[in-house]
Amino acid sequence: MSLSALHIYNEEWDRRLHEVQVSKGDLNRLIMDYLVIEGYKSAAEEFAQEAGVVPPVDFESIESRMKVREALQRGDVEDAIVRVNELNPQILDTNHALFFHLQQQKLIEYIRQGRVLEALQFAQEELAQLGEHSPEFLSELERTMSLLAFEHSTSTPSAIADLLSPAQRMKTAGEVNAAILESLDQGKEVKLVQLVKLLSWGQGTLKEHAEFPKVRDIGFS
Amino acid sequence: MSPSTDSDDDGNVSPPPSESPVISVASPDQPMKLPTRWNDECRHQSLNLSENGRELSYQGPNSNGDGAAAAARSIQSIPPACGVYYYEVEIHSKAQTANISVGFAGPDVKLSRLPGWEPLSWGYHGDDGSSFAAEQNGTPYGPTFGLGDVVGAGIDWATNRAFFTKNGTFLGSVFHNVGKGVDVYPSVGLQHVGESVKVNFGHEPFKYDIDYHVQQQRQQTWTTLMSQKLDPRLFRADDDGTEEEIAPLMSEVSEEQSKQTVNKLVLSYLAHHGYVKTARAFQKQTRDAVEERTSVDDDIEMDDVPGPSTSSSSSFPTSKLEADIELRTRIVNSVLCGDIDSALSETRKHYSGTLEAEEGLMLVKLRCRKFVELVLETAELEKKMKAAKAKEEASAPEMDGIEEDGMGMDVDDEMISASPIANGSNGVSLLSSDYEAALNAALTYGKTLDQDFKATKSPEAKNIFIQTFAILTSSDPLSAGGAIAEVAGHDARVKLANELNQAILRSQGRPTHPALEMMYRQTAVCLLQLGLARVGAAAFANMQKEFIDA
Repeated sequence: MSLSALHIYNEEWDRRLHEVQVSKGDLNRLIMDYLVIEGYKSAAEEFAQEAGVVPPVDFESIESRMKVREALQRGDVEDAIVRVNELNPQILDTNHALFFHLQQQKLIEYIRQGRVLEALQFAQEELAQLGEHSPEFLSELERTMSLLAFEHSTSTPSAIADLLSPAQRMKTAGEVNAAILESLDQGKEVKLVQLVKLLSWGQGTLKEHAEFPKVRDIGFS
Repeated sequence: MSPSTDSDDDGNVSPPPSESPVISVASPDQPMKLPTRWNDECRHQSLNLSENGRELSYQGPNSNGDGAAAAARSIQSIPPACGVYYYEVEIHSKAQTANISVGFAGPDVKLSRLPGWEPLSWGYHGDDGSSFAAEQNGTPYGPTFGLGDVVGAGIDWATNRAFFTKNGTFLGSVFHNVGKGVDVYPSVGLQHVGESVKVNFGHEPFKYDIDYHVQQQRQQTWTTLMSQKLDPRLFRADDDGTEEEIAPLMSEVSEEQSKQTVNKLVLSYLAHHGYVKTARAFQKQTRDAVEERTSVDDDIEMDDVPGPSTSSSSSFPTSKLEADIELRTRIVNSVLCGDIDSALSETRKHYSGTLEAEEGLMLVKLRCRKFVELVLETAELEKKMKAAKAKEEASAPEMDGIEEDGMGMDVDDEMISASPIANGSNGVSLLSSDYEAALNAALTYGKTLDQDFKATKSPEAKNIFIQTFAILTSSDPLSAGGAIAEVAGHDARVKLANELNQAILRSQGRPTHPALEMMYRQTAVCLLQLGLARVGAAAFANMQKEFIDA
């Protein structure tokens, strides 16, 4: 294997960068994709106006999706479930993992609020039977219930304490968001994020084959 | 991948344009030439090659067990940038199990041996169904093959693994590091008289559904690429340029971190192009989101109390950017509403160098616009004045109305008698003095402009002057149409506002392209280069398809 250390100098590299075909319109659509999927409704509306980009969905659907997310982020799981069902009752019917995670989140919120009796009752009546069908659900349920054991304790193991973190709410919200997008036949992966990933992989892999000017620190240029 | 099935409908073959000099620099070979026939120069003497270069038949003495054989290779090596390579051979033999090997080989492998026996060769053997990669006894792999069978051999360049098929059935991935760092060719080997193979390098449809295979590979590769860990260096500034040797300072990029970075990319893109309202709305929403998230640990009931904005600005440091956008918005808006003086003075004050760049081109443009605005103002006043005059004259129909012929004709008499005459005439005289003042101002400004820039050598500036002064030929430039309206109309303001925005960014040493755009370009060039560096996975990362067309 002859790994000739190919060296591509700035001038040559710049020329190639310049030759890449991409228009402002293309990039505008990437931005719109991001605003829509991440639910920045008013920004998406402004952007449709200012940049003349046709949004891929109607703005109302963004709004209702965001209402679901907001409900989860403030801990109102019941409201989120009602709203998801209003959007499309099939979503929770068909996606068992999603339904379980929403119920789990509800349990977490009970525990967070110190409503121990309700938590126990809810776990036994609603969640236990879901857990019977899947060992994965069951172990998740057990992990969640152990929050009760560590109540008000500073020694709670982090794997368990994480359940009470904002990240857990975001995770559940993200899962629901993706499921709704999927039900709308819309891409659920943000293209901009994919682009960042592709750059990360592309640059990292090419580094093994050649010397070339790299992009760093993309958020601060 | 075959030459015939994929060239048109599959996007993963990304042959770099052959006329591009880029390719020749990195790879002197033409990277996407595919094998089309067996090589007359690269075949054992015991093999007879048909006229069309597709059929090989064994002529020599039967070789039994002494390790002798007769092999051949194709004329072209396989370009890894094709993503998946595949070909098929039809077996002619007297027996159900042929002493034939179908596979691949490097350029220097002995032609007196079956593919798979020698280093840098890989083969699937018909007599025992075993796979061989530089081994004498083989590894159990698939069924035996012989008379009438169609055997396919492929390489998945994303993984550098091979696969074989028999009569259209996939037999599984096999071998590792196939073609890694070495050119490989389709290669077959025969041992018995009466046995022959006819190759299909894509000349006709394949038995195996290679399109489906390609799709699967693409999907898998894309999923793999998308689940790679992010390079932390994309998310933080390095202190110096020697980042290569330094162990990663930060091993993982958190979701929150990458999200914030993408938010910054979006915001700077919006700011760059001056999508101000969008940027505002976006900033407000991201800030609200951060507040909402950070407030979770606090009392739940607190969430309709607006959080102190200072807490959020620490996690989302955009105050400087915000101030910059605000200022540039103000300047851009000034241009948009025709207030060129404000735009000029603010630009001069906050973004020195902007107006002077390129021999003062921006200054020329702005001052010309100022002149256009003055002329438009004059035209507007003139219109009003004429209208008022017409009204006045119509209200006194007995007076000489000749000069305003036709104007009074439609006016209803009763309406006229109701209109206060004194007021009207007062309005007209006021308007006409306004008009005169405006006209004078416009003409004076035009003269100064002419004087100030008389000496300019720049052809672009001269052109702008000519176009600008052309609007004087029309009394109503906005409805004149054509080139005049183009200079006078609102679109011209929009265009100028954009140009000023770009000029300001440039003067600040800010990139002329947004970071997002540079990121896209960088990624595209990396992928192209990876294709040339024989990294097959790059063939499946089709940016056009993933980011633009979809």
